[in-house]
Amino acid sequence: MLEAMESLDENARLMLRYRDGDADAFLALYARHKGPLYRYLLRQVRNAGVAADLFQEVWSRLVATRSRYEARAKFATYLFHIAHNCTIDFFRRDLRLGHTARPDDDDAQSAEPEVPEDQRPDGIAEFAEQQSALLAALSSLPQEQREAFLLHEETGLTIEEIARVTDVGIETAKSRLRYAIRKLKKTLHAALTPEQEPRRARRDLKATQLNAST
Amino acid sequence: MHPPDDLEEYLRGDSALSRQYRRESAPAPPHALDRRVLKFSREAQGSRRTRAGAPYLAPLAFAASVLLSVALVLAIAFGPQTAKHVDDAPRLMHAVARADAPPLRLYSSDPKLVRTPSVWLGDIAALRRAGRNREADAEFRRFRSAYPDYRTAAPDFPP
Repeated sequence: MLEAMESLDENARLMLRYRDGDADAFLALYARHKGPLYRYLLRQVRNAGVAADLFQEVWSRLVATRSRYEARAKFATYLFHIAHNCTIDFFRRDLRLGHTARPDDDDAQSAEPEVPEDQRPDGIAEFAEQQSALLAALSSLPQEQREAFLLHEETGLTIEEIARVTDVGIETAKSRLRYAIRKLKKTLHAALTPEQEPRRARRDLKATQLNAST
Repeated sequence: MHPPDDLEEYLRGDSALSRQYRRESAPAPPHALDRRVLKFSREAQGSRRTRAGAPYLAPLAFAASVLLSVALVLAIAFGPQTAKHVDDAPRLMHAVARADAPPLRLYSSDPKLVRTPSVWLGDIAALRRAGRNREADAEFRRFRSAYPDYRTAAPDFPP
C-alpha cells in the first residue's frame, strides 16, 4: 500500500512537473508507461497497426491536455482513461464504417514472434502452448472483460480504479473481471490437461535418461 | 463452507493466471513509434515555450503593470490640483514680472492702470457693435483724455 502511494506520488509528481514545462519528466513517464499501454492497446484491438495509431493518439491527447492535469488520482488511471476513450472511439468508428479491424493473424499473439516448434526444448514448447492458449482465450473474451483483465495485469489497478477508468460502477467492473478470470482459468486448465500428458511423459523420460547417464 | 471465490484469490496476487500472463512475451512499442511520440512531445513543448516567451518576461510584465497602475492612481488623486497650483503661480508672477509694460491693476481709479490702450479700444468697439454708441463715445472721450496722442485708424474711433 505504502509502495503504491509512493508510486502514485512519483508518477503524479512527474506529470505535474511536465505540466509545468519540464520535458525530462515526460521522458520518465513515457519510459514507465509505454510498455503497459502498448500491450493494453495491442491486446484490446488485436491489430499492431491500429494499436500503434491509438498509442500515438493517447500520448498526443496527454500532451495536448497537460495544462489541465490535476493530481486527483493515480496517474495510471488518468493515462488509461484516455486510452479507454481512444479505444472506445476506435470501436465505434469501426462499427460505424461497417468493418472490424482484422486481427493481424487468426489469434491474438500475431504481433509476437514465435520460436519454431522443432527448435524448442520441451519446456519451452510446453510454455509456448500455454502462452498461445492464454492469448487465444484472452482474445476471445468480450472486449469489456478483456479490458478489465488487461488493466489489472498491466497496471495493477484495483477494481475501484478499473471502474473509474472504464466509467462503470464498481460492481460492474468486479463482475467483468470475475467472468474474465473464470473463462481464462477454464481455458488454461483445459489446455494443460489431456494433451499435455504425452509431452510430460516424454520430458519425464528424458530426465530419467539424464539421471541414468550421470 | 463456500468454495474460494476466483476473483478474491486472483486479486490477492500471484495467482497461476497472473504468473502465466507475466511469463508471456511482452511486446513493446517499435522504436519508430517511440521516436514519433517523443518528437511531437518535444514540438508541443517548443511551441508552448514560443507562445509563452522567455520565462523572465512574466514577472517583468507584472511589475510594469503594477508601476503603471500606481502612477495612474497618483495622477488621478493628486495630479489636477498639483498641476493647477503649479500652473497658476507662474502666470501671476509672469504678469507682475513684466516691467516694461505699464503696471496694470484690476481695480484702480486711474483708467490707464486698469486697461491697456488696445484693450480699451477693443471694449469701445464692442460697445459700438452692440449699438451703445453714447456709451462708446463717452468711453472714447475718457480714452482720449488718458491717451491724447494714441493714434487710432479705425473709423469706430473718431480722431
